[in-house]
Amino acid sequence: MITETSNIKTFVFRPEEPLTFLPGQFMLVTIPGVGECAFTPSSDYKVTETLEFTIMRAGSVTALIHQLKAGDTVGLRGPYGKPYPLKDYHGKDVYVVGGGVGLAPLRALLYGLNHEIDHLNKVEVRFGSRSPQDICYKDDLPNWEKRKKTNIVISVDSAAPGWTGNVGLVTTILKDDDVDVKNAVAVVCGPPIMMKFVNKRLLDMGFAPKDIYLSMEKNMSCGIGKCFHCNLGKYFVCKDGPVFTWEQIKDIPEPW
Amino acid sequence: MQAYFISQAELTALISSLLKDSIVIAPVSFQGKNILQPINEGTAGNVNLSGYRTIEPFKSFLFKITEKVAEYFNVDQPASGKKLVFLGVRGCDLEALEVYDKVLGEGEFADPSYLANRQDILLIGADCTDCGPTCFCTMVGGRPFPYQLFDLNLSPVAGGYVAEARTEKGEGLIALYNKASDEQVKEKENIRQQVIAKLEANNQEYKCHCTINWDEAHKLNLENTKAWQTITKNCVECSGCNFICPTCTCFLLLDQKANEQNDRFKVWDACLKSGYAKVAGGANSRPKLYERLQNRYHCKFDYSFDRLGRYTCVGCGRCIDGCAGNIDMRKVYAELVRQAPLTAKLE
Repeated sequence: MITETSNIKTFVFRPEEPLTFLPGQFMLVTIPGVGECAFTPSSDYKVTETLEFTIMRAGSVTALIHQLKAGDTVGLRGPYGKPYPLKDYHGKDVYVVGGGVGLAPLRALLYGLNHEIDHLNKVEVRFGSRSPQDICYKDDLPNWEKRKKTNIVISVDSAAPGWTGNVGLVTTILKDDDVDVKNAVAVVCGPPIMMKFVNKRLLDMGFAPKDIYLSMEKNMSCGIGKCFHCNLGKYFVCKDGPVFTWEQIKDIPEPW
Repeated sequence: MQAYFISQAELTALISSLLKDSIVIAPVSFQGKNILQPINEGTAGNVNLSGYRTIEPFKSFLFKITEKVAEYFNVDQPASGKKLVFLGVRGCDLEALEVYDKVLGEGEFADPSYLANRQDILLIGADCTDCGPTCFCTMVGGRPFPYQLFDLNLSPVAGGYVAEARTEKGEGLIALYNKASDEQVKEKENIRQQVIAKLEANNQEYKCHCTINWDEAHKLNLENTKAWQTITKNCVECSGCNFICPTCTCFLLLDQKANEQNDRFKVWDACLKSGYAKVAGGANSRPKLYERLQNRYHCKFDYSFDRLGRYTCVGCGRCIDGCAGNIDMRKVYAELVRQAPLTAKLE
């Protein structure tokens, strides 16, 4: 169990039976007798003995998850949902934009992209956090910087003493010439308000709606397309997503 | 289908024989309307198949209001219990059953408890001999008599019922009765036509007064925010419409702890409730009530068409009867269409 920030921790689970996933899919974690929540594993999908989940403390179940100690047992079911279509990114620039704990599924994506790195043009990562203390995966970031064809730029909404990096919302570090928009895909994950404004910026930069991949979030209960809670227009985020292109959801009344 | 004739007395005897190994759910008369009750020997004679649909639907016998679905970490298959007989299912009830079969009974994750009760069920339908003031099945492609999914159908005529079987199970129940006469079959047809005519007349004022039909109408103007705010003025979020609707299947999975036992329950849920779409952290994609009411209509007429190839509204009108705010969905649609600028189609 790794403490990332004041309210985000990464948990390493060892499944009793083999349980594999592909980046972008999610699983449901149960604290028996209390409840169940959906999380996207943030680990390398090729590592099958353990699964890592980066979880923010936000409610009753996550508060109890944050109190877990080594050796405790939780329930796990999945994987559900459609993964990132990595093969569709071959030969392109991949523009990865994340905010806060939204970096969790993007971490799994970055592992996945790194496995395919010879087939990709380049990977440009842009990551925003509220403050320097809220940056997730502080220990991983230097290692990712060293990866082939990978460049990382981060920013914080508000600085703290000692911070020498960029200050501003993540939209401020999305520059027009970061990638070749005619031959790129953008993958975005973060709080709904951040995704809304990043999406706008990406469209202004010239990305086609079909090339913007968004990890949508909705209240889930069953996770298997039966309880209707996660409906996003005609889609279910659990079954048809959680990854959607902007092209698929641009006409839906209330995507955010 | 060969038509037989069953007298009222013969029907009561048939119910008694079914009671030997099944639970029989049937309509009985109550203050001028029909309500559903489990029937026993003493009440078999009270079953009333004339009139129109019951106040409440048959749904809660197949899709339970609350149900334990797991005890950690065991998942036992539910026991099927006694066989079910639904007696007096109307045309709209059977349309709703088709929706339930598609949503709960099909696919990779069909509901095992739904299937356990559904597979051995005996469905005995009944023609409507009248329609209620809120019925509008014909406006959504339905008819006031069973035409699918039933084992046996009973059409009330003078002295009894014209009985027609659709399956071997139904045939087995009536093979020993007298065949129906031509006059009786004709009487059945006449009653059907009369009810259809009354439905058309009742709903004439709601029919769109322009060339746009329902398919076009709902796509045109479901986004009219001002119209929805007006429509929602009377809504008090009681969610009666969600709970009484025979095609609604929203549920919530709830975990509970009792001493050492951890249980998971599946309970009915309602999309009109304010917290339905709320996520951890407090964000809510439908914070306003009119957005949730709008979403309900989208779900019944728009999204369901994309997901299942059909409307999931069967025109039974129970939501209109049950609404604490007197919201009538026929009026809602007529109003949306009247307000729809025809030029919107040209965009």
